[in-house]
Amino acid sequence: MSIQLVIFELDNKEYGIDVTAVNGILRARKFKIQALPGTDSSIEGMINLRGNVNYIFNLRTKFELTEKEISDESKFIMLNANNSTIGCIVDEVTDIVKLNDDQVQSTPNFICGGVDNYIIGIGKFEDRMIIILDPEKIFSAEVATLQGAVSN
Amino acid sequence: MSQYQGKNMDGSLDLSTVKLKDVIDINFLQQFQDDFAKGVGLASVTVDPDGTPITNPSSYTRFCMDFTHSTECGDKRCAESHRKGGEEAARTGKPVIYECHAGLIDFAAPIMLEGRQIGTILGGQVLTDVPNDTKYRKIANEIGVDEEGYVEAVQEIRTLSRESIEAAANVLFIVANNMSNSAYQQMKLRSVADTLSDGLAQISATMEELAASASVVSENQGNLNSEIKNVNIVTGKIDAVMDFIKDIADETRLLGLNAAIEAARAGEAGLGFGVVAQEIRKLSADSKETVGKIKDLTTSIKESVDKTVTMGNETTNTIEQQAAAIEQVTASVMEIASLTEQLNQLANTK
Repeated sequence: MSIQLVIFELDNKEYGIDVTAVNGILRARKFKIQALPGTDSSIEGMINLRGNVNYIFNLRTKFELTEKEISDESKFIMLNANNSTIGCIVDEVTDIVKLNDDQVQSTPNFICGGVDNYIIGIGKFEDRMIIILDPEKIFSAEVATLQGAVSN
Repeated sequence: MSQYQGKNMDGSLDLSTVKLKDVIDINFLQQFQDDFAKGVGLASVTVDPDGTPITNPSSYTRFCMDFTHSTECGDKRCAESHRKGGEEAARTGKPVIYECHAGLIDFAAPIMLEGRQIGTILGGQVLTDVPNDTKYRKIANEIGVDEEGYVEAVQEIRTLSRESIEAAANVLFIVANNMSNSAYQQMKLRSVADTLSDGLAQISATMEELAASASVVSENQGNLNSEIKNVNIVTGKIDAVMDFIKDIADETRLLGLNAAIEAARAGEAGLGFGVVAQEIRKLSADSKETVGKIKDLTTSIKESVDKTVTMGNETTNTIEQQAAAIEQVTASVMEIASLTEQLNQLANTK
């Protein structure tokens, strides 16, 4: 088995996400994000993508990184997850790579043992180490609260 | 005195062609010579270096006019005698007293200009002793005139002491030489003033040309400066175009990424498409790199233009300073020209 990953960067660190879960990549600058009051801080807001409302999540908040303005290079990675399409703000999408099973090393339980463990493993590609995220789990909690908030 | 025009190639006065009439007013000389001859009782005439008379003879004796000069032979002998006297005077640069072919005492006073003889005042027709008849009868026969008349005429010749003749010759010599020399110095002064005047006129003209060309240079520099600023504007526009191209490259890259994602999701069927998508991404990366290079170039163009503008401004300053300097020189030249004008007036005062 092999896995194909969309590689993106946050503060010059590489993350990967299964390409099959990716709906597409958008340039962040092209969209106006409208904030949603009373929602989780990881939820940046919503955008209107070709007539559909899509929610945008901030991975920086989620990963507790320093806040950063959206730049020319910033992208939204649109994910098909939790039965909807959500977007994540990333610094830049750099690559699409194919990794074999032996290039992916699972993370031990002491790193993320909980139920909401969203790190699938570490991809080793040349000298690089890529944190592979689980598209379903990464924002599952937030999506749940969001769905609660919106339906209320 | 006529306005002497003889000039050397360089415009300075040509001494070798200065004639007596250039430095002494002939009418004045005639008057002076007549009065002097009458006063002292000496005949006189002024001749040029060839021996040709310039003035009319003053107080010539009957002995000379009616007898000695009356035959061709006598006239020739007189001319020869005058020539000799003149030559001797020129050689010594002083008046000489001698006895002429017809046995009268004559003098020749040279008129010298810077060591060159320009004329001679001849005079005399007197005796220092009582005449010896035999001598004059012999001369009368030689030149072919009437013996008796000749002897009678020689009796009418005045007798003067040698000292008186010398003193008279000296007076003529000193006066004529001083007059001609001072006139010659004035001529030289006029010539220098003229040369100066010509030179100043040329300087003035050149200064005007310089001033004109300075203003042309200044104008050209101004045009150059604004033209170069246009280059900066164009460079700015190129940068704007480059931003647009970079935007397209970014967009293309995104397209490549999305195509790659679609290809991956299509599985086996998308493999070929994936390769195309990768090529698109590579192309967009190349475009972006090229944009960066062009931007580096436009940046260095901008720097060069800025430097050129700075240098251009310096040039403009220098030109302005030059123009000011030219104005100062022109003012000085005008001052000198007015002084020269005064000099000219002095030189032309008779």
